[in-house]
Amino acid sequence: MNLALRDVRRHLPRFVGTAAGLALLFAVVIAMQGIYAGMVDDAKILTRTMGADLWVVQRDTLGPFAEASRLDPSLVRRAAVVPGVARARGYTYAIVQREHEGRTLRLALVGLSWPDDRGAELPLERGRELSRGRGELIVDRTLGLDLGDVLPLGDESLEVVGVTRDTLTSAGDAVAFLSIADWHSVVDASPDEALRLERERARARLLGTELGRSQPWLSELAIDPRWRAPVLPEPPLHAVLVDVAPDASPTEVEARLAGWPDVRVLSTPAQEQVLLDSVVGRAKLQIGLFTVILTLTAMVVVMMVLYTLAVEKTHDIAVLKLLGARRPTIAGLVLQQAWLLGLLAYLVAVGIGAMLYPTFPRRVVLTDEIRFLAPVVIFVVTTGASLLGVAHAMRVDAGKVLEG
Amino acid sequence: MSVSVRGEGLVKRFGRGEAAVRALDGVSIALDDGVIAALLGPSGSGKSTLVKALGLVQLPDEGVIHFRDRVVARDGLAVADLAELRRSHLGFVFQKANLVSFLSARENVEIAARIGGQRDPRARAEELLAYLDVGHRAKAYPEELSGGEQQRVAIARALANRPALVLADEPTAALDKERGRAVMELLRRVAHEQGAAVLVVTHDHRAMDVFDVVYEMEDGRLTGPLARSRDDAHAAAPTSAT
Ligand SMILES: Nc1ncnc2c1ncn2[C@@H]1O[C@H](COP(=O)(O)OP(=O)(O)O)[C@@H](O)[C@H]1O
Ligand SMILES: [Mg+2]
Repeated sequence: MNLALRDVRRHLPRFVGTAAGLALLFAVVIAMQGIYAGMVDDAKILTRTMGADLWVVQRDTLGPFAEASRLDPSLVRRAAVVPGVARARGYTYAIVQREHEGRTLRLALVGLSWPDDRGAELPLERGRELSRGRGELIVDRTLGLDLGDVLPLGDESLEVVGVTRDTLTSAGDAVAFLSIADWHSVVDASPDEALRLERERARARLLGTELGRSQPWLSELAIDPRWRAPVLPEPPLHAVLVDVAPDASPTEVEARLAGWPDVRVLSTPAQEQVLLDSVVGRAKLQIGLFTVILTLTAMVVVMMVLYTLAVEKTHDIAVLKLLGARRPTIAGLVLQQAWLLGLLAYLVAVGIGAMLYPTFPRRVVLTDEIRFLAPVVIFVVTTGASLLGVAHAMRVDAGKVLEG
Repeated sequence: MSVSVRGEGLVKRFGRGEAAVRALDGVSIALDDGVIAALLGPSGSGKSTLVKALGLVQLPDEGVIHFRDRVVARDGLAVADLAELRRSHLGFVFQKANLVSFLSARENVEIAARIGGQRDPRARAEELLAYLDVGHRAKAYPEELSGGEQQRVAIARALANRPALVLADEPTAALDKERGRAVMELLRRVAHEQGAAVLVVTHDHRAMDVFDVVYEMEDGRLTGPLARSRDDAHAAAPTSAT
């Protein structure tokens, strides 16, 4: 005959109500851990989805996710011929925010090195990789766009040809993949007036030279919108992604590239670490703090509930002591109720989570670590919280029962 | 006739200085197996304090308590496992039934039998409830039972471990005359049929005929035993114990 269960059965509605309240607290704590794990995972997605072995970035920088990293486009060709390099691709990255059909779309634009990289390795849910060098876009499904939708960005109209899953930045922004050419015309798109001024400047510069003065018709060419090459440099890349050949040593290739004076080479884990440090470093502290506070709150709530339950049972406990009940039996009454409360709350929290987490704006990733630790922590918290109640139960004086 | 419990020179003080009360002021008493004794006395005279002392619940400051010729407490200190003695050999009945509120009638008896190490606690509980005519209320919770039913369940619980000593502190105070009488008769059967030593604190002078011996307390002092037709009582008491 389990006393704790009998008592719970007698006060079932209140017990279940308390467990439900507690479950909400636990669900929030678990969600925060899951959101943090999601952020960590998201931070790695940007590097993971590209599937490169090495990230070549501008010298003395930490790469495009931390700061401006500008590389000359010729670096792709230079890297491609280094012994041990299987493939070198350009990479550009920028966050853009645009109005679209009354919604604000915030997305991270990743430029792919068409035609070497068409997004074949992306986690596609629907649709296909890029098949043309211009005008096509692959987006994360959280953007809410469907295949065939056309998204006007800058001067371009991009058609959605693929939808990926779980491609978010650590800030929760959806990632969109497009060719680097499109990327430049979207991100570097200049307003018409700026272009007109730029061309006027080009014509003035031309007319200031001997050539311009002797060949005035050239100045007409300078302001022709189809003609831009000499005045604008080829736009820079933000990183060059290097795949190491299967039979080559990544460390050797890395050392070779690192010898170049204008670059820095980050292995993929190093690049991931940069993302983690810069983006989730502070969030980690914040979430850790909230977790501790909420866990303590849960502990105090459980403590008060269990203490109240124990105080209400003072008389029953005294009777049991009078009957000669052993101390572990009495302590077990309180302790087992604590565990029961924790178990019930945990199960309800898991149920709440299964229902609610998928609707959260941020990805909630319940890692194995969280799945293992949550019940352990709840067990420890409820055990700790029961101590006040157990102490009360231990202090109850059996002799009191005989009074009156 | 063997002695179940014996107290010698028991003194219990409450408070200090001016306000000090000697609830027990040198009490000696011996309770015999198979005998039901009454403990009378005005309110505040120390009856409950004596019951708690003999029940090993609240030890007196001075004096010696023997249980079955063994010293179990001396001058306020336990010299035996008192909880174990309570578990195995003692049964309590109180003015209020003091049942465990979250256990059914049957479970209240069963838990006592279980704590006392009975082999089949559940069967023991059912048997006792039937013996006390409350078998049909086995599933009811204490708050669903009448005062008389509660008291009978409490007596069943007190008997769960075939106690050598049953202590009852005003067990009929909350009952009407008829039911009070019935409870007293039951306790008498416990002494006479089961061979237990039974001590009953009571105010009820109308039920005196059920007792074999009578003690009286006044200001912490005990007088007695005043044998009430002692020979009749023993003649009426079969010595067999169940
Ligand atoms: N826990 C206690 N603290 C202080 N005084 C007590 C306590 N218990 C009993 N007393 C005092 O001891 C005396 C005897 O009490 P009690 O044994 O309960 O009397 P009775 O049961 O005969 O009415 C009373 O004066 C009472 O006030
Ligand atoms: Mg009293």
